[in-house]
Amino acid sequence: MILKLAKQPQLIIGLTFISSILVFSFFWTDILQVEKTEALKLMDFMYDDEGKIIDHIPYSPSEVPPFGTDLYGKQLFYQIIDGAKYTILIAFVIAFLRIVVSVGITLINPRANYAFLDDLISATLTIPTTIIAYIFMNTLLIKSSMDGKSTNELIFLQCLVLIGIGIPPLISTFTREIRGILDKDYINNTFAIGARKSYVYYKHVLPELSTRLILIFAQQMIQVLILLAHLGVLAIFIGGAQTLVLGDPMNTVLQDIPIAGEWAGIIGMSFTKLQAAPWIILIPLSCFAVTILALNLIIQGIQNSVEETQKL
Amino acid sequence: MYFSINSYLRRLRSTILGILIISILPAVLFGINTQLSEQVYVYSLKGLNVTRNIFPEIYSQFFYSMTIFFTALLIGLLVSLTLTFITTLLPRFLQRMIYGLLTLFESLPDLFIVVLLQVCIVALYKKTGLLIPFYNDYNNPIYLLPILVLSIVPTIQLYKITLLLMREEQHKPYVTVARAMGLSRFYITLKHVFRNILTSLLQYAKTIFVFMLSNLFIVEYVYNLNGIMSLLMITRGAAFLVTALFIAVPFSILFELADNYNASVNKQLKEKNAA
Repeated sequence: MILKLAKQPQLIIGLTFISSILVFSFFWTDILQVEKTEALKLMDFMYDDEGKIIDHIPYSPSEVPPFGTDLYGKQLFYQIIDGAKYTILIAFVIAFLRIVVSVGITLINPRANYAFLDDLISATLTIPTTIIAYIFMNTLLIKSSMDGKSTNELIFLQCLVLIGIGIPPLISTFTREIRGILDKDYINNTFAIGARKSYVYYKHVLPELSTRLILIFAQQMIQVLILLAHLGVLAIFIGGAQTLVLGDPMNTVLQDIPIAGEWAGIIGMSFTKLQAAPWIILIPLSCFAVTILALNLIIQGIQNSVEETQKL
Repeated sequence: MYFSINSYLRRLRSTILGILIISILPAVLFGINTQLSEQVYVYSLKGLNVTRNIFPEIYSQFFYSMTIFFTALLIGLLVSLTLTFITTLLPRFLQRMIYGLLTLFESLPDLFIVVLLQVCIVALYKKTGLLIPFYNDYNNPIYLLPILVLSIVPTIQLYKITLLLMREEQHKPYVTVARAMGLSRFYITLKHVFRNILTSLLQYAKTIFVFMLSNLFIVEYVYNLNGIMSLLMITRGAAFLVTALFIAVPFSILFELADNYNASVNKQLKEKNAA
């Protein structure tokens, strides 16, 4: 199986891309030989040789290559590299836990029909997932600001919400798949010989499900990434936001700054200033697009290899 | 034929229960009453201390959103079918390339397309002075841009699906027979293959509706449209339930039709296999 997968060029491209981004994101200070605090410092006015001020923040990509700066003068390039690990790992962990939890719930009793789950699913068809997530997250943010929860606690709760939203549709998919496998003749025979349920699940059901699991996992990661981007636009940040007071004392402006440095936060922080500095939004968004493309390549590669094995 | 009132009502009941669970769950989980006031159909505008009743404005908002939605769907369908038709007449390697490009476009998040178009239109205005209205002010609803943007995602999806279906269909015996009879590829595609594809396309209706509804929300939020989805976002409690029902009731009919159609197709397939 793994050998066959290794022959798919699309899969290899996708995997190398994502893993190299992750490695780069973890070790960028060593690779680029820069200090983290130095790279992420706020830039001030731009001076020419004679010491005159020639420009002010935000700088466009042509002024501060390669990606310019954000509204407060932090270099966007370093922010994006640094945020890549959070974004991808959050998506990874949430997609993984969604699948583990929903497979676990399904395996407790694969023949059960959960009526309220069907209700939830038919409702989520008409209400977009983003709105559901927004309702939960917004309430959570109000609650946490009232109670004064710590950042880690907030991140934990937010991840729980993001996991919970994805579980009902997944349970119904897995129920269908697992029932299909359990209806096969050899499973019946195994039970007749006297195998325990846990043995059958571990030895037969899960291996047969494995390719589907990987496919669904990649799809879930894509969904989580899109959901994160949408939530970023709605100004809901993973890890909450810090309110800064900007402007002069006579005319203060409150600005929410996300604490964790993931891409959705960069988008959401300056989304209202889209027309003033479009690159701050478009560059993180295209990073999302490229990551999703890599995941799609992985899915395509797995599907191709499955088709090839079926043809033989 | 494909529709029964009973099963529709069952689906509607299930949807209503689901919406109820969703609207209550945050308050239950986090112990906060999110409904802002005692009055039932009231919501408050973001950042303002004004409360506003959802009736009777909700009707116009609903029809506005639905106009955008269905026009976009229609445009998407027409454009993707025409494109597929042109593609099938192209040589094989170009078809491969187009398919690869479609996979690329499919990975673009809808948000990216929406934002990019907005930026492009402002840039166009700055360069040429040609202004396509891209942002709603309260009294003048805009139609052109949201419809255009909303139609992009279904166009890409439908285009890809029809291309795949076309590829399967072209290897079927009846096409070979028709070719052997000396009919042209143009004629066969138009007369025979297309009709068969249109029926199988209906199977994907549900997925496309769900995708488009989610996309509609993003379009409404980014372009500041005064539609039903943006209302859904700011309402809580009973107002949320009513707003969600405005979407759920008509769309349940569509989902019901699509599901019943799929069930009947699957049944036919099973009978064919059994025979």
